[in-house]
Amino acid sequence: MKVSSMSNNYDAIVVGAGHNGLTAAATLARRGKRVLVLERSENIGGMATTSEIAPGVRGPRLAHLLYNLSPLVSSELNLEKRGLRVAAGDLPTVSLSSDGRHVVIAGAEARFSDGGAHPDADAFSSLWQRLVRYSALIAPIFSRTPPRLAGGGLSKENLFEGAQLARLGVDLRRMGKSEMREFLRVVLSNVCDLILDEIPDGPLAGAVAADAVLGAWAGPKSPGTVLMLMYRLAQGGAKHLPAGGMGAVSEALADAARAHGAEIRTGVSVDSVLIDGDRVRGVAFSGNESAAAPLVFSSLDTQSTLKLVGAEHFDIEACRRIRNIRAKGTTAKINIALSAAPKFRGLDDALARARLLIAPSVGYIERAFNPAKYGELPSEPMIEVVIPSLSDPSLCNDGAHVMSAIVQYAPYDLKNGWSAAAREELAKTSLALLDGYAPGITDLVTASEVLSPADIERDTGARGGHWHH
Amino acid sequence: MPNSSRYDAIVTGAGHNGLTTACYLAKAGLRVLVVEKNDWIGGAAVSRELHDGWIYSNCSYVCSLLRPEVVRDLDLPRHGLQVIPYEGGANFTPDGDYFAHYADHDALRREIARHWKRDVDAYERYSKFVLRQCRFIRPLLLRTPPDPVSLHPRDLQELLYLIRRFHDLGEREMGETIRFWTLSVGEFLEEYFESELIRASFAGSGIIGTGLGVYSPGTAYVLLHHYMGEVDGSIGSWGFARGGMGAISDALASALKEAGGEIQVGSGIDRFLTRDGKVTGIVLDNGDEFEAPLVASNMDVKRTFLNHVAPSELPDEFVTAVKRFKIRGSSGKLNIALDAFPEFPAAPPDAPFLKGDLHCSVSLAELERAYDDWKEGRWSADPYFDMLISTGTDPTMAPPGKHTMTMFIQYAPYDLELDGTRAPENWDKARERFADTVLDKVERICPRIRELIVHKEVRSPWDLEREVGLTEGNIFQGELTFDQLLFNRPVPGYAQYRSPIKGLYLVGSSTHPGGGVMAAPGANAAREILRDVKLLSRHSRWSRAA
Repeated sequence: MKVSSMSNNYDAIVVGAGHNGLTAAATLARRGKRVLVLERSENIGGMATTSEIAPGVRGPRLAHLLYNLSPLVSSELNLEKRGLRVAAGDLPTVSLSSDGRHVVIAGAEARFSDGGAHPDADAFSSLWQRLVRYSALIAPIFSRTPPRLAGGGLSKENLFEGAQLARLGVDLRRMGKSEMREFLRVVLSNVCDLILDEIPDGPLAGAVAADAVLGAWAGPKSPGTVLMLMYRLAQGGAKHLPAGGMGAVSEALADAARAHGAEIRTGVSVDSVLIDGDRVRGVAFSGNESAAAPLVFSSLDTQSTLKLVGAEHFDIEACRRIRNIRAKGTTAKINIALSAAPKFRGLDDALARARLLIAPSVGYIERAFNPAKYGELPSEPMIEVVIPSLSDPSLCNDGAHVMSAIVQYAPYDLKNGWSAAAREELAKTSLALLDGYAPGITDLVTASEVLSPADIERDTGARGGHWHH
Repeated sequence: MPNSSRYDAIVTGAGHNGLTTACYLAKAGLRVLVVEKNDWIGGAAVSRELHDGWIYSNCSYVCSLLRPEVVRDLDLPRHGLQVIPYEGGANFTPDGDYFAHYADHDALRREIARHWKRDVDAYERYSKFVLRQCRFIRPLLLRTPPDPVSLHPRDLQELLYLIRRFHDLGEREMGETIRFWTLSVGEFLEEYFESELIRASFAGSGIIGTGLGVYSPGTAYVLLHHYMGEVDGSIGSWGFARGGMGAISDALASALKEAGGEIQVGSGIDRFLTRDGKVTGIVLDNGDEFEAPLVASNMDVKRTFLNHVAPSELPDEFVTAVKRFKIRGSSGKLNIALDAFPEFPAAPPDAPFLKGDLHCSVSLAELERAYDDWKEGRWSADPYFDMLISTGTDPTMAPPGKHTMTMFIQYAPYDLELDGTRAPENWDKARERFADTVLDKVERICPRIRELIVHKEVRSPWDLEREVGLTEGNIFQGELTFDQLLFNRPVPGYAQYRSPIKGLYLVGSSTHPGGGVMAAPGANAAREILRDVKLLSRHSRWSRAA
């Protein structure tokens, strides 16, 4: 295909209209670039969408909580002015306990759901604050391009990167010796030991462990889980419910992109990235169309991107390393339409709006992870539940409610595949578990959908259905 | 020991590291005493005749990691140490085949090709990568880890050395190294090999002695402990010490005696004596008291500071850190006297690999499930074992025509779950059933094994703890995870063999670089002790060799 004959010329093309693709598009457009965004599905948003689960019942289709949204992006793109509102901010977490004495966690404070003081509140608080401090230390890394490990001489970029690393070193030193030592000890360790060194196992410990392993192919005993927890706490760990569901985040980003002149086309499947020599020339899409641009941004996972470009443009070692990036999805999503608000034992109306966790102990989570390693489903999964319609009535009509559950561990490579029966089994297990905490909830269900990691991969393209792809 | 209760230095525990430290100190001219609670020396490197005529290496059982620098410095071959390499081993499959992992590179290539041709090329890449990692790590073994928060010139210099070495790897290799250090052995092998049998055959080395599974991040590094060693300059080789592992301890003891050191067995330490934050000596269980301004503990960090030092003598932060140091019992042993060399129907008669390490674990999932059992306090229903018939190589360990066999079994928990309780004492009721689980599995590849058993010794982690003194029976004196390696081992801020009590040093595997019959912690600690008493120059030959 002769690129010069293309009629569509852009400064940049973004493949995929997930929230990262949209952020890139809006950021570029805001700086005056002519940007085209191409999205395979009919809707923008990728994993951050709002969908109708049953007539009159809308809810977050995949992602259901907003945390770690870069404040820089938010202010630069004016997301609040573009309609991104929080229906419930700083959502507390309720770690459910089978005895009905649930643990409520708000920031670094923990208490029982009946108002009683938690015996481990102080130990938890100091652990949590320590983790938030460590996270703040490494957070700047998340908002920058990762430094290269070996630079080529004294270029401006290299000096800048060197300065960033040096700054991390200085920040570390400013924490003081014993704090710095503790950081270097725990940073690559496992979250199970970290917690159980401080507080006994139970719903409070389980909640901390859950935050570390959500979305990951890892149990609390897997080394490296402390780092994942720090990642989640990078912006302090607060979790928010956006009004209108997670789709509102994508809409606001798309709005920002369009307002700055970006063009977003949906229902357009990119066939390949066009390469001429060793330069990107544009993309080909929808079988017979193409657009030209000297810059192409891919918000797809690395392997899918490699496929679009063509392995022939990479050296064999690069291909091998890309192939070796692991993306074993372990998270299924269950969206449930309810005819009325469910009643959880031991939770008042205010607490029912919180983020609810079925993670009664660290040991429980580890046991839930075990079967996933062999492509099996757990008999007792870890579940994160929100009922966004309690905070945001606009989502549902006629007193109905929507319950959004992230169920872990549901392995992507389920033995015998993700059949309808397997999905049914997962839904049944999860609902039975929820029924133990909210008796009668099963009878309120009017509709439900189970999105397995395989479904998530099919719908969003994210390899393995992994939410960090 | 009347009239001679004053020494320049005392070493508590005659394990191979304690003996190594004692040798270096004695050679530097110090008057050294080693005390040992057992009636024999060696710690976990022993040869014991537990049945007439049969000698067991009943704790550690093969030799490879022993630092050649230490062997040379202490002239151990002259003191009787002879290490005989073996030529590889095999992993048997249930369907009557096997994967032989020969020590010879080309033989191994042919064997891989027999199973899965495409993995031959993978093996080339794999072995090169692992060798590069070994080259990177090996020089670090005999160096004292720097304290990353210290501004002391030596720490800065050592830190700079680490950074420079790392940087010298080049950008691609640096990235791969970071991945390797944080990857699980299972996923690491999956990246290279397609054959499940080959993956499982290589994976065992990543979990030996650790409380982690093949899919736990960080286990790829443990794999290196299997490749880092050498026998007579042949890198990656494993061998038997002639006469059993006790031969290493005996050689060290002989070197120590030659240098003027003394060893007293039969009574362990009751407590360290301290005054004004300094160590002044020790008191033994039998009441004997010895004075010395330098005391080196070969015991693990928990045993040393939680059992034999009053907490009031130590900073609270230090005590907390010691309590948090993870030492998890995860392995058991079976030592067996055999009436004849057992038959393995799958193997050709007289196959050379039968003299090496034998296994029967054919998939990563099988190994991981073995770990899952352990997490719940049970021994693995389908355990991983490393089985060696040492007399195939060293006939001196049994009467003529008879054989000894040693089996290392992963996983066995310290606090065993039984009838709803979790306690080490449960082992007393379950030891034989544990052995049966293992032997049932051995019968799959060696059907007549039970008929040949003349005597057997079953060792749970609890037994290892009580006899050898290793907390929880952990063979490495502490888990080899990143939070407990290098400057984090055993306690951040005390990774240079010193302790909060002046003159009291740690010299066992709880310290850098960790476990294995390596003698590196003992040698490193000796260097630091001699540095403190300003006697280093006579001893520093290899301290900068890297």
